[in-house]
Amino acid sequence: MTLLSIALAAALGASAHPSPKVVLIKHADFIRQTIPAKGYFVRTVTIGKDDLAAIRKASGYTPDDPDVQFFLGQDGDGKTTGVALFQQVDTPHGPIEVGLTFGPNGAIASAVVTTATVETKPWVQEAIASGFMKGFVGMRQGDEASKALGGTQRLSGMPQYMAELIATAVGRGLVLYGTLYKESAA
Amino acid sequence: MGLYSLRHANRSVKLGALLFLLLLGYAYIFAFLMVKTWSGLTPERVAATYLPSPSMDEMHMATKSHATTQPLDLGQVPEMKHTVDTNTLIQDSHIHIMIYAIISALLTLIILGLDWPAWWRDTVIVASFGFGALDFAGQWLIKFGVSGFAWLTIASGWGMCLVYLIVLYSTIRAMPSGSSNRSTL
Repeated sequence: MTLLSIALAAALGASAHPSPKVVLIKHADFIRQTIPAKGYFVRTVTIGKDDLAAIRKASGYTPDDPDVQFFLGQDGDGKTTGVALFQQVDTPHGPIEVGLTFGPNGAIASAVVTTATVETKPWVQEAIASGFMKGFVGMRQGDEASKALGGTQRLSGMPQYMAELIATAVGRGLVLYGTLYKESAA
Repeated sequence: MGLYSLRHANRSVKLGALLFLLLLGYAYIFAFLMVKTWSGLTPERVAATYLPSPSMDEMHMATKSHATTQPLDLGQVPEMKHTVDTNTLIQDSHIHIMIYAIISALLTLIILGLDWPAWWRDTVIVASFGFGALDFAGQWLIKFGVSGFAWLTIASGWGMCLVYLIVLYSTIRAMPSGSSNRSTL
């Protein structure tokens, strides 16, 4: 039986080699914590040619997936209290994901790294500890996300690299929200 | 006849071979748990981990974006899909294939002392190195868009398992027999 267990472990253990992701905050918790609401909705926007051209022009970035999901909360009167989206960037050390919440005024109300990997987590945490994430709050489409990196002078090496990737994710999130999210959309 | 006989080898040689194999099995258990957690155990889930993201089909894309809104159950919000992109697979490949080579070389050192017929010894040695290479060949084929090769990655894992068990079984059988001979290796 022991041999069988080892066999199974060996067989399947050797079958694939993912870099383990580390969920720093669950999507549901991020949405709940950053968007106070009576009810929550998910809006899936399938990108059209016009918007794709606008996204490329604004950021030089082409989304991997033609469907972009926005998670929104509404109060008792049906007014939107906030909109969240999750933006992923790939690194040689596995993907990093940033959760962004936009307030009713269309500006970033919250920016949090929601997922890292076993390798990147310490670098990400060191980058976050520098406090630069606060610099994203209040940004709107058209703002340069990299300006938030001004507070990261004491970072270097991999934490600095992580901070730059996080800023990239935020910049793409700003463009996606500004281009694709329309309050009046059904 | 191999280069030496594990059955008649010094007790320390037997001890080293057996402990290496047991520790390797120990490591494989955690490798199994890691894959079960982060990739999956079925061809579908393995393929989903390595398949490239669907690209924009601009030829058939509508001019205007369109949106659908649905009520959301926060208990059903999916987490980030765990995928391995090309850069990560390059990184995984460079370290894992090297480790496979080292493990296969160490297994070969044990195999050489197992008093097997030459044809069987060579077969298991080739299998040991070959399955490691095919494991990553499967992953790269998936990455190139051939999702049907997930079975190759899984089958290679089973193949490595088979080699490991054969070597472990034969090594255990070689342990008690023959008194330690200090004059041999």
